[in-house]
Amino acid sequence: MDRRQFLLGSALTGSALLLPAPPGILPGWWRQAAAAEPPDLVRTSGGEPAAATRRAVAALGGMERFVSRGAVVVIKPNIGFDRRPELAATTHPAVVATLAELCLEAGARRVKVFDRPVNDARRCYVQSGIAAALEPLEVELKYVDQRRFRDMDTGGDVLRRWPIYREAVEADVLINAPIAKHHGLSRLTMGIKNLMGILGGNRSRIHQRLDQALAELVAFIPPTLTVLDATRILVANGPQGGNPDDVRHPGVIIAGRDPVAVDSLGAALFDLRGSELGFVREAIRLGVGEGNLDRLRRSWPGGFDRLYRP
Amino acid sequence: MRLPRLNSLRTWRLLSQAFFLLLFLLLFLETEGKGGDELGWPVKLFLDFDPLILLTTLLATQTVPVTFLLALVVVGLTLLLGRVFCGWICPFGTLHNLCGLAARHRLIRHPAWLQWKYLLLIIMLAAATLGVQQAGLLDPVSLLIRSLTVGIYPAFSHAVSALFDTIYLWQIGGISAVSEWLYGFLRATVLPFRQPVFSQSLLISGLFITILALNFHERRFWCRYLCPLGALLALFSRWSLLSREVAEGCNHCGACGRHCPGGAEPHSRRDFAAPPRPAARTTKSTERPADDAPSPPATALPWLAGECHACFNCDDVCPRRLISFGFRRPAAWRKGGRATLPAPAGTGPDLGRRQLLGAAALGIAGVPLLRISHPPEGRAQPLLIRPPGAVPEKEFLGRCVKCGECMKVCLTGGLQPTLLEAGLEGLWTPKLVPRRGYCEYHCTLCGQVCPTGAIEPLTIAEKTETKIGLAMFDRNRCLPWAHGIPCIVCEEVCPTPKKAIWLEEVEVTGRDGQRVRLKRPHLDLELCIGCGICEHLCPVSDKPAVRVTSIGESRSRENQLLLYNPAGILTSNQPY
Repeated sequence: MDRRQFLLGSALTGSALLLPAPPGILPGWWRQAAAAEPPDLVRTSGGEPAAATRRAVAALGGMERFVSRGAVVVIKPNIGFDRRPELAATTHPAVVATLAELCLEAGARRVKVFDRPVNDARRCYVQSGIAAALEPLEVELKYVDQRRFRDMDTGGDVLRRWPIYREAVEADVLINAPIAKHHGLSRLTMGIKNLMGILGGNRSRIHQRLDQALAELVAFIPPTLTVLDATRILVANGPQGGNPDDVRHPGVIIAGRDPVAVDSLGAALFDLRGSELGFVREAIRLGVGEGNLDRLRRSWPGGFDRLYRP
Repeated sequence: MRLPRLNSLRTWRLLSQAFFLLLFLLLFLETEGKGGDELGWPVKLFLDFDPLILLTTLLATQTVPVTFLLALVVVGLTLLLGRVFCGWICPFGTLHNLCGLAARHRLIRHPAWLQWKYLLLIIMLAAATLGVQQAGLLDPVSLLIRSLTVGIYPAFSHAVSALFDTIYLWQIGGISAVSEWLYGFLRATVLPFRQPVFSQSLLISGLFITILALNFHERRFWCRYLCPLGALLALFSRWSLLSREVAEGCNHCGACGRHCPGGAEPHSRRDFAAPPRPAARTTKSTERPADDAPSPPATALPWLAGECHACFNCDDVCPRRLISFGFRRPAAWRKGGRATLPAPAGTGPDLGRRQLLGAAALGIAGVPLLRISHPPEGRAQPLLIRPPGAVPEKEFLGRCVKCGECMKVCLTGGLQPTLLEAGLEGLWTPKLVPRRGYCEYHCTLCGQVCPTGAIEPLTIAEKTETKIGLAMFDRNRCLPWAHGIPCIVCEEVCPTPKKAIWLEEVEVTGRDGQRVRLKRPHLDLELCIGCGICEHLCPVSDKPAVRVTSIGESRSRENQLLLYNPAGILTSNQPY
């Protein structure tokens, strides 16, 4: 999709939304969506990852809603493991590159991309395909610099004081770009868990109270926007995977302002409810976001083929 | 300082030395993964060209190393031109020249020591015939790469980083911005991706610095008296076609002798009838200053062709330009010509029958002495975890030249030099220390850079099936097992597609009777490849609750645990 098509599509969608809806026929969320405010949670289905990402962000009201001209943006994908994109352990490179393009198009001054991987960072950046995808863009894909971790008081009970990457905290806009996959302890890793990549220090200790630590982390630094890559998902042997048989291809992108809502909706891909995830429950308890998606303005361009269970 | 002249061979020699030193350093820096599956540079090039490694590997393993032809190039070059490798190419020799700049030019001071290097060479060759590979200890290329890898480069990196970190932390306006730009540039060019840490950096770099410091005692001390590769090339240079002639008219000013890096006695009077020494130097105005050295004492040694590095210093410094080099019948073929080994009895570097046999006997006798420190077969050292692709231990020790290339290239810094874990024979061979760094699942770099096939190059598919050991849990230290605290980090990071670490969900009772649900890790011995990432990231960080030992390593027939292994891994009921 080129820009002209996109603008045309947006204009048509926008004007369609302005049409008065007959009351009582459409469900409640559609009536909400028909109001002037763009939706806060979007789920697209089908399409190439790059186009789907554009579609999802456009449905949210466009990147301009989040990135103002001259902003410093940090995109935090999941580049945690030395796996190729088709093994669904890392965010799809096209999703990351499209988000970076959208930020640049919205006038971002700097776009920084990084992760603190579990495996060797060089291999993760290259083998995930993300380094190559960002190569043609004016994007700073950097390795984490140990000196830029700063001990910060998170205000939490478990995490308390922890080294956190300054660039993530100081950025004007933090875009969380996780992939949806299985995890042995937290059951799933999506947006909230992906934020662990901005933590320094010995992260192995965090697993003792993982759910609460994650909730405290997202409460301390809620991302401006979460774009969950579920074009491929890993349903077993996560978060590292490695077996193509463990990969499914829902072709879904979920995007939203509320990290809790995105993860709750993402859980449905694995036939789970958001409330079945400890870190989602903890995050709701801390008031980070909304777990009951009926209370959100939502949009499912391309149709929603799977029942959402609150 | 003399100005370089393009018609001087010495100038060309200096250019060649600079080129090869820089090439060496470039290849050294490029011995580092950048995220791809291959390095893209022939980083072991200098080792490939090393005839000493070729010969000892040949003797120790009775197999022809893959790099056979390249080392023969150096042999051929030596047969043609003498020890040009020492004078024009060897990066270690060039470093000696640089260190020697701070020292005075002097005549050879210990002519009798010239034979040491031959004796060392013979000891190594004799040991190699019995399968003990010790050439790497003193082979100049191996020694240089090892010392840089383990000692000098980490120290350099640490010093530079500490400097820039300090400036960064001060946050002085302006200065920090410039320094950060410079630091970024250095990181992109000469600094390592991560600060290397090696357990023996002090010992190995201490030896290296000592060897360089010997230049202050005598220039190119190492090359003259100790270098076994130099000794080997000296043997070949007996047949060198390039030989040196001194025309009539030498007044024995001794300048050539002082500038001879090899101690080849170019000022020797024994080779030609010389006029009596003039009482006073009448031609002083035409001479270059002779470095304020006293007149050389009359020497009994002849011109030692084998010690000549073909550096062309003597040609260059001779005030009367009497020295010339030309192609002639090799010294060894000429009647009365003097090759290095054996020199005429009683003239210095005499390698008499007694010394020769003594050295050979020492090399041979050393083998059982080294070998009796070995654990018997089937009782392998638990912490001797060899890199993936390492051949069976006996052959491994016959091949490994301790060059440290694998340690340099290891992405995680987990490959460390052994001290005594592999016996004295295996000193400075590589072992994986998972606490330092695990074996990256898809990485095959160590096998790619190994010059002798001690670590065979593996495909990624082979690598991910190669066991280097097995992990086992220490249930007395493991958080879920011993303390009822959730953890599972080991399971999360386990890289095999079907995880070798699996979880059992249990409910335990806490101190106050509360029920706690948690997952306890178990290990699947068939799936575990011993990569050690579980040990590396275990939160019980001082003495991890999951540790890898060498048992089950694919390369060993004896060091096995399972009776039956469906993965087809070698076990004792199968042939080698």
